[in-house]
Amino acid sequence: MASFVPTSEETLADQRLYTAGWLTSVSCQDCLAVVGVQKNSAHHTSIQWSAEALAACPEMGRRPRELHAGCPRLQASIEQAVRAGQVPIGAGDGF
Amino acid sequence: MTATDTAARMLDRGVTPERYARGWHCAGLADAFRDGKPHAIETFGAKLVVFQAANGEFGVLDGYCRHMGGDLTQGEVKGDELACPFHDWRWGTDGRCKQIPYARRVPLRARTQRYETVVRNGQLLFWHDPEGSPADHDLLPPELPGVGTDEYTEWFWETVPIKGSHCRELIDNVVDMAHFYYVHFAFPTSFRNVFEGTRATQFMESKGRPDKAADAGGYGDADMVLTSEATYYGPAYMINWLEVDYKGFVTEVVLINCHLPTGPDSFTLQYGITVKKPEGLDDKTAQYIAKKYAEMFGTGFLQDVHIWQNKAPVQNPLLCEEDGPVYQLRRWYEQFYVDVADIAPDMVARFEFEVDTTKANEFWHEEVAENLRRRDAASEADAPLEGAGH
Ligand code: FES
Ligand SMILES: [Fe+2]
Repeated sequence: MASFVPTSEETLADQRLYTAGWLTSVSCQDCLAVVGVQKNSAHHTSIQWSAEALAACPEMGRRPRELHAGCPRLQASIEQAVRAGQVPIGAGDGF
Repeated sequence: MTATDTAARMLDRGVTPERYARGWHCAGLADAFRDGKPHAIETFGAKLVVFQAANGEFGVLDGYCRHMGGDLTQGEVKGDELACPFHDWRWGTDGRCKQIPYARRVPLRARTQRYETVVRNGQLLFWHDPEGSPADHDLLPPELPGVGTDEYTEWFWETVPIKGSHCRELIDNVVDMAHFYYVHFAFPTSFRNVFEGTRATQFMESKGRPDKAADAGGYGDADMVLTSEATYYGPAYMINWLEVDYKGFVTEVVLINCHLPTGPDSFTLQYGITVKKPEGLDDKTAQYIAKKYAEMFGTGFLQDVHIWQNKAPVQNPLLCEEDGPVYQLRRWYEQFYVDVADIAPDMVARFEFEVDTTKANEFWHEEVAENLRRRDAASEADAPLEGAGH
């Protein structure tokens, strides 16, 4: 039931690479959420949540429906992990 | 590593989907359909008929009569029903045949394809699902407080048919930070995306490029600072809240960006503008400002359209570290093209992307400064100018 059907295997590999290839697991220091984090550069951050992580985060559970802001506690945890050198910055030659 | 180690990359054009997205679609301003006449709209590779019954309800039905295929868009609204021009079968807004004037009774099976409707913010929306599910009202775009009252101008509504590109090209804009500089002549000064469930949002702040002001249109006025929050509610309907600061004069603008897919490589782009009437301005001036902004954002869309109509479809875009999350956005968009049972958890999982655009802007500001220097030099020499950015 795929929709936009890629015509090459390599495209599927690219899809995996770009969506998951550079994700590092980071645990929130304040709750049980574990998310995937990607840093393309010092001034960029991507956060991949899962349904489990979202359910575990009290901050996200509390937010009003329209609020798009992320969780500040998670953000602090990510910053700390980055400072500790646990999240690689940049994809090297990968991109 | 040297470039010679790498094989030449191929563009994967892929195959466009055979089906059309599940979700709420916009037929246009509801008022356009209130004249008691049937209207044709092209979408989903078909022709639909839109009409308002005498009781005020809107009907959106397949355009062709289930009796002998008469064109209902050429029919006539008779009371609460739409009458076919061929043999006068009467169709209700619920898709059922209510009467056949020359027949003793209506066949029980006389039911046609109908789309559930809702009027929201002055627009007629209808639900489409290839699987035939009932409309999901939880997925409707929100009501806009104040819009439709005296606080806001009326909608400026434009319709632009696009041939030669799939509507996903339009969706890609949500993540395309760099094109705002190159295509819309604006510096994106901050950029953020959040995808979750059926929504995808872009937050952006931008400033116009001083080297382009004269020919820019759209976002490119150097005296203009935009704060923009734009959310897709499903596959085809976006609300864009804009705060436009023009030389310190701040206007609140709501821009609707929606589309109807018409074929595998065509769609109808629609956009609407309403402006919160600034304090102390009379209605005529407010209306004038709204019209100006409608033209400005219209120019912005045309800048995109030109790119879309000439580009190749790409399933495997090659990205650099400064690009937005194209693959994640497309993964999100995919949910509307698969059966509900086949929606994968990662299509709807929350994803956040945030970039401080300082680095890209350092480069862009230098380029702009260089363009301005050249322009000055050229006008001094009174020679024609070749823009560096082209
Ligand atoms: S075809 Fe419509 S009434 Fe006969
Ligand atoms: Fe654009």
